[in-house]
Amino acid sequence: MKSSALAAKFWLHWPTLNGNLLVGLTLALVTLPQAVAFSVTLAGVPPHFGIYAAIWGVLFCSLLNPSRVFHGGPNTAMSATIGVTLLPVAPPFGAEYMGYALTLALMAGMIQLLFFIVRPLGRMLDLISEPVINGMICGIGFFLIFRSLTTFGGLPLNTEVEWPLWIAWQSFLAVLEIGNLHAIEVGLITLIACVVVQQFDRLRNWAILFGIAAGTLYSQYLNARLGPQDTLIEQIGNLSSIGFVFPSLPSFNQEAMPDIIAILPGALTLALLGLFQTVAALRRMNRKIGGFTDSRKAIFSDAVSNCLLPFLSSLPTCASFNRMWLVHKLGNHSRIAIASSALWLLLLVLFLADLIAVIPMPAMAGIIMLLGANMINWEDIKPHLQSRPEAMVFAASFLSVLFLDLFGAVLVGSVLAIAYSKWEQAHPNISLQGNVLKIRGNLYYGSLPVIESTYHSAIARVDDVIVDFSECYYIDPEGIRWLAAVQAGTRVPFADPRRGPTRRDHERAAPPERRGGAGRRTRPRRGRPDRRRRSDF
Amino acid sequence: MSTLTAKLAKIVLLVLASGGLYLLATHQHGQRESIRQAAVALTPDCAEKLGRYGLASGEHYQSPYVLQRTGARITARGYSDEDVRVIQRGCNIVDDTQGHLAGDADRERWNTTRFIRGTHLSCDHCHQSIGDKQDAGGNPMKGSLNLGASWAMADMYDRFTGLLLPFELRQMQCYINSSNGYKPNIADDVIRDVTAYSRFLSVALDYRIGNHHDEQGVDEIPASATPKQGDDHVRGEALYKQKCAHCHGPQAFGLEADGRVVAPALAGPNSWNMQSRNYFYYVSTILPGFICRNMPPGQENTLPNEECRDIAYYISNLPRPAGDRQGPLVALRQQMLMKVLPPLLRLTETVRNGEAPVERESGHDR
Repeated sequence: MKSSALAAKFWLHWPTLNGNLLVGLTLALVTLPQAVAFSVTLAGVPPHFGIYAAIWGVLFCSLLNPSRVFHGGPNTAMSATIGVTLLPVAPPFGAEYMGYALTLALMAGMIQLLFFIVRPLGRMLDLISEPVINGMICGIGFFLIFRSLTTFGGLPLNTEVEWPLWIAWQSFLAVLEIGNLHAIEVGLITLIACVVVQQFDRLRNWAILFGIAAGTLYSQYLNARLGPQDTLIEQIGNLSSIGFVFPSLPSFNQEAMPDIIAILPGALTLALLGLFQTVAALRRMNRKIGGFTDSRKAIFSDAVSNCLLPFLSSLPTCASFNRMWLVHKLGNHSRIAIASSALWLLLLVLFLADLIAVIPMPAMAGIIMLLGANMINWEDIKPHLQSRPEAMVFAASFLSVLFLDLFGAVLVGSVLAIAYSKWEQAHPNISLQGNVLKIRGNLYYGSLPVIESTYHSAIARVDDVIVDFSECYYIDPEGIRWLAAVQAGTRVPFADPRRGPTRRDHERAAPPERRGGAGRRTRPRRGRPDRRRRSDF
Repeated sequence: MSTLTAKLAKIVLLVLASGGLYLLATHQHGQRESIRQAAVALTPDCAEKLGRYGLASGEHYQSPYVLQRTGARITARGYSDEDVRVIQRGCNIVDDTQGHLAGDADRERWNTTRFIRGTHLSCDHCHQSIGDKQDAGGNPMKGSLNLGASWAMADMYDRFTGLLLPFELRQMQCYINSSNGYKPNIADDVIRDVTAYSRFLSVALDYRIGNHHDEQGVDEIPASATPKQGDDHVRGEALYKQKCAHCHGPQAFGLEADGRVVAPALAGPNSWNMQSRNYFYYVSTILPGFICRNMPPGQENTLPNEECRDIAYYISNLPRPAGDRQGPLVALRQQMLMKVLPPLLRLTETVRNGEAPVERESGHDR
């Protein structure tokens, strides 16, 4: 009786569940090549790190994050940060290197936890404005293209950090002069197949899969014809170590301590890059789907996941904007779909390990290049070029990624964001229309000098100045003192919306040429809710 | 329709661009291959050295040098024509890294100048006599940075980084820090040719792997090897003026004549940077060791330890470029110092001596 009721319930819900599972499978197939590419080409760790991040990272995030479109998992910028931070410390793919990678991720997770516990720190992330984020995303896009150049040409990585743009140029010349031509062919075929498939709207999300299939087939053909000893195309290699759970321990022994201290800035970069992207992606998706998820909850889910993932031999996780966009596009917003993608991926990897092992590395590099190119989106850049301060912030954030390292870029980005918001606050919109000096914005110690200079030039030119601060939404004590001094010293009247006729009288009294057409627009609005501050006068 | 054309245009553009790059790559590869196959024009010193060591293609190789000095006939595996060319090119690169003696410097030296900032530095400024310095009697000299000995001892843990540093990676550090430049890719011919030449030297001089060779590296001179008066900038300056300034110039910016470097810069933009092991504040024992064992040319091993340390200390206090990993601020400071200090120093010299200003030196104002 009971079981049949359960079965009936199951069949009742089957269509939704079925839909969720399908979305999950799509997500898993899209995530798999990214996970492998990020870990191998960018982070310098074996592919199972990325795959576990795409399994456990996604699962933890879907359990902890209340958003119905949030898809965690491995991330380009974070993986690249791991690679850049650890290259000077240890040789990639080695045991030591993997230990450090886990340590780095754990430290980043703990820093993120700090951002959750200390509330103002978490709030600071909301100050990171769109131009800063987009500038960094664009810069990271170029960075990814540059970084995968050597792998694309079948050459060893450059192993120490120099000026990234110079590395890029040198790597480009090296690929042209001494690159492995077979590897370049495989990479180009992957790239072109990807871009061609991307042009079909229905297949867009499968482009990466198609590209990798094309590249792999071509490299298999080359290997069959010439033999792997002549083609020398590097492949992902053995994935037999993959199992259900692969426990691991970050290295925190005494010998590693100097290196761990040396990679601390890297950990901070990693933590901040993750949180930036999570908060920004969540904010954007909130607006797209019209819901609201508190970014604090996202910070919590990221932090906890990143503290747990290093013990499951996994890369750190953060929001992936392109995969979240995919969830949104597929239309089935549910956390079940996202959690099922993790389980699908686990099944895929358990059964397709042999197939993944023959994927050539140049194909992976081609994919990373394409993802990098997709991050540079003119539609996202264009709005920032309209206003000068925004364009400057965008350019600075963009260039700092290319000219400094990622840590420098994160620092510059944070400072810029705060400086930008402060600059905006300190420059209220002041206009002299007729004899009315209208101030829109903040009236506080930072903006007073700007206001005062306009005010004094106004009273020098016009005799009967009226100060209208009815659209000041914040006045600090210093602003109040200034207003008091203004009224006490020069008997300048204030426009008061509560006694409208007074102001109109003033306007009427002013000569018509001074009043102008613009003066009429500054009529104070009635019924503003916040009158408490102005009631002092 | 318009979107379709746009998409098609996108694809065509991509295919054309990648096809063009691929063609360019094949062309560059072909050019490289032709250089690899071409006969090598040896520099005079290389022709003399390789001739003396009997480098020729053949089934077996016997070093005339070892035969003459020890009477031992040690037969090693011989070299193919291609091997010989590789070794010859390596010798050329060590002798004349900047390509001043080459007809077509970029082609014949594998674009080494691309990896070097400044116009002075060449491998054999430190690895003197093309990496194989001998005294008048033909004996290899202790602490002379011999490349053959370095190759034989390469698979050892690096003293300073604690890493097992392959010979190729050690060369990259030379490019980054000693020549204040950029590193070539490890698969580049530049690295391979120099490695092949070093390896040939180790065979020609019979340096065996697993032995310690005094010729490798420099003899380090720690403060404990001096009478413990401390390293003195003032003494160093006086000694420098007295013993080094003839060749390296009063401000250590080196000496150029006819577009060729007679004495390399010890400071300023053409010199090694602050992350090099020659930099006193980074490793304080190596530059004194180099000076004691290799300087001045022809009178090696004449300076006492104390004086070497003083001179090295003085040289390291002169303005020089920052290392790549020291960040933009340090780089900016050093660039400023290199611009500002030389004229100031010249001015103080003029005032102090009451004489006409010293002529502008070559090298630092380009």
